[in-house]
Amino acid sequence: MVSLVRWAWSVALTLLGLALVTFAMTRLSPIDPALQLVGDHASQSTYQQARQELGLDQSLPIQFLHYLGTALSGNLGQSISTGQPVAKDIARTFPATVELATVAILIGAGLGLALGIAAAMRRGTWIDSLCRLVSLVGYSVPIFWLGLLMLLLFYARLHWAPGPGRADVVFQYSVKPVTGFALVDTLISGKAGAFLDAIAHLALPAGVLALHSIAAISRLTRASIITELGQEYVTTARARGAGLWRVVFVHVLPNLSGTILTVVALSYASLLEGAVLTETVFAWPGIGRYLTTAMFAGDMPAILGATLVVGTAFVLLNALTDIGVTWLGARKTR
Amino acid sequence: MSLRSFRAALLGAAFSVAVLPLASFAATPDDTLVVAQSIDDAVSFDPAEGFELTTVQSFNNLYQRLVQSNRDDGTKIEPALATSWEAGSDGKSLTFAIADAKFASGNPVRPEDVIFSLTRAVKLNKSPAFILNEFGWTADNVDAAVTKLDDKHVKLSWAADVGTGFALSLLTAPIASIVDEQTVSAQIKGNDFGNEWLKANSAGSGAFVIANYTPHEALVLQANAQSSNKPKLENIIIRNVPDVGARRLLVEQGDADIARGLSADQIEALKTKSGIKVLAVPSARTDYILINSKANPTLGNPAFWEAARYLVDYDGISKSLLRGQSSVHQAFLPVGFPGALTDNPFTLNVEKAKKILADGGIKTPLKIEFIVFNDQPFLSIAQSLQSTFAQAGVTLDIQPGVASDIYARGRAGKFEMTLRYWIPDYFDAHSNASAFAINKDNSANTVAKQAGWLIPELTAETLSAVKEQDGAKRVALYEDLQKKIQQSSPYIFTLQGNDQVVLSDKIKNYAQGLNADQVYYDKVEK
Repeated sequence: MVSLVRWAWSVALTLLGLALVTFAMTRLSPIDPALQLVGDHASQSTYQQARQELGLDQSLPIQFLHYLGTALSGNLGQSISTGQPVAKDIARTFPATVELATVAILIGAGLGLALGIAAAMRRGTWIDSLCRLVSLVGYSVPIFWLGLLMLLLFYARLHWAPGPGRADVVFQYSVKPVTGFALVDTLISGKAGAFLDAIAHLALPAGVLALHSIAAISRLTRASIITELGQEYVTTARARGAGLWRVVFVHVLPNLSGTILTVVALSYASLLEGAVLTETVFAWPGIGRYLTTAMFAGDMPAILGATLVVGTAFVLLNALTDIGVTWLGARKTR
Repeated sequence: MSLRSFRAALLGAAFSVAVLPLASFAATPDDTLVVAQSIDDAVSFDPAEGFELTTVQSFNNLYQRLVQSNRDDGTKIEPALATSWEAGSDGKSLTFAIADAKFASGNPVRPEDVIFSLTRAVKLNKSPAFILNEFGWTADNVDAAVTKLDDKHVKLSWAADVGTGFALSLLTAPIASIVDEQTVSAQIKGNDFGNEWLKANSAGSGAFVIANYTPHEALVLQANAQSSNKPKLENIIIRNVPDVGARRLLVEQGDADIARGLSADQIEALKTKSGIKVLAVPSARTDYILINSKANPTLGNPAFWEAARYLVDYDGISKSLLRGQSSVHQAFLPVGFPGALTDNPFTLNVEKAKKILADGGIKTPLKIEFIVFNDQPFLSIAQSLQSTFAQAGVTLDIQPGVASDIYARGRAGKFEMTLRYWIPDYFDAHSNASAFAINKDNSANTVAKQAGWLIPELTAETLSAVKEQDGAKRVALYEDLQKKIQQSSPYIFTLQGNDQVVLSDKIKNYAQGLNADQVYYDKVEK
């Protein structure tokens, strides 16, 4: 109970710090939200009215305290750039990012682990070379460029994939959004065509995003397994006649589970922050693009709201990872 | 598991990722027009507030005004919700006869709707309110200025010294759109005049209604069943595709019927593609260099303004950099507006510029801080200017910045030189003249004020032009104003925009006019 309270307190402090830093950075930027909103042709009285309505005529500490007060009451305010309540915007954009990130991490973790294990077990073979190549490409190729290239190849040339967006025009407005997750909404709508369309639209952006995770996870998995294979307990197990497969899956991987879980969770968290460039190329209306657009508009309520939501997701994911790592450690000890 | 089967599993997993996207992807439906563009700028679809390109382009499709600009010749004003109008003998009032028309809700259009629409626009005092303020209307006096005469007639009167021709031009602006008072009144919260609801909904009598608006995602318009002007297509879907490369792919593949905002390179590549056509529409956007005459004595010296006119590679920028997206234009009124000057007296002439600088007592080398929008094509144009100005010993220190910061520095007079553009707010010469040729005492936020240029005589001439009732005399006054400003002013007009829209060749009758709001979807067919 005490540790739970301590954890909740540290989460609250983290979010407060996050809000404060975000607020300060946004206010220090040269963007004038009022002028951004009304444009340069507007009269001085309109401009002054906008400043007043946005609370910009008050001191910075008052603005921040006012925001905190309303946020604590559950009101994240109204976005300057969309004219909609921030909570409504986030409820629409965050599921899009979560869906994309989740599919991407499932692909990334699955293929990354498989590739890392295979490369470690067959060092110096083609699979090891493939692992290094994927790592190199995943880390070094700009995701923006890769996204466009994938669209050009799979959409424009091969016609295997649909174009940018979350759904084809014929489905986009025939399925009622319930959860905000296209896969779930199309599934519960009972329209098989719409569900397949949603999968098809996810595949390319998720695949592009997954490449970075594959690179990180496969490289770490390979290196960790190779290190573990040099340990005495592995030599002992091998001396007792255990095959390589058994040694890796029964002895090595359980020892590495905490490390692997941590790197997978970190990859997932970085995807949840919003893969801005992927969302831009694939016209994916996620929170990354929402946040970026808000930043260019100096849209303080949207920036703070989105940052707090992403921050909370980050903190929760870290906490879950800690719990998972502790649990895995306890299992190992037993 | 043997290594072979493991390899197979691995390859299978990779293959499944590759083939997962296999899906039939549809061309756009026959009754639907799909437009790929950026709609990230959209703030509000309330005509009393919306002042961004995306929202302004939608208003002609959602709303009607009392009068409208002719689609082909914007200088001609024609009836819309008013069947006729009559000017008052004092020249400061207009009486409109209301047409038998219905809003999308089925409610008839009444004088009360006109009164509600115009008065709420003034009282809300949002971005475009300054257009109606030209009448002298304020929140305090507008109720008395817009009055109902009977069930079919409404009278507009004003105190400002402006003529009826100009008044009609103001009424063609999107802010003068007529909204359905009964529908909007049901959505009013506090004293917002229904503004919050109208941000994402429509209540007009135009050819379409807003069926769905999802910020940063899509605007879906649906045919208005009540409209007397039935559109040919049932739906218009304006999709937000922020990346221009993706927009190009969508229109090439037939998943979008229209793509807007493509770069010059992309347009060039698409010109030869089959199934696609490029529509070039002159736009009223004019690009100019703004010099702050108060920044230092050199920048306030008319000799510098004159020399700078010969340090711009007009043809190079227009032909090599922008390749058809702009043409050379050197006056404040865009071609297409009455009285616009069409001659371009200045060309790049470094030697002449050097002589003017020397004769004007301006010593070189000199360095000027040049603030520029951190976006294309502004940065490319700035680099061209940097190169040509350098030939005369003038170093332009390019400082890229975000738009709002550059505008804020303009308002505060904290800049030396900047690259800007101007789009008229309504179809009348005064929209531009009031920006560039009015600054009597630094009291209004005009471009002339931002340039620190006090011009009481030009201000008087501009104000006499706006109240001139004789059309020909009015045009002559604007020609004279342009010539004076072209000769000597802290502005260098360089280009006029040319909107390039990429369309599938299945699309017929897409219409777009000179002004930003003149985008029409009602006649579009497939």
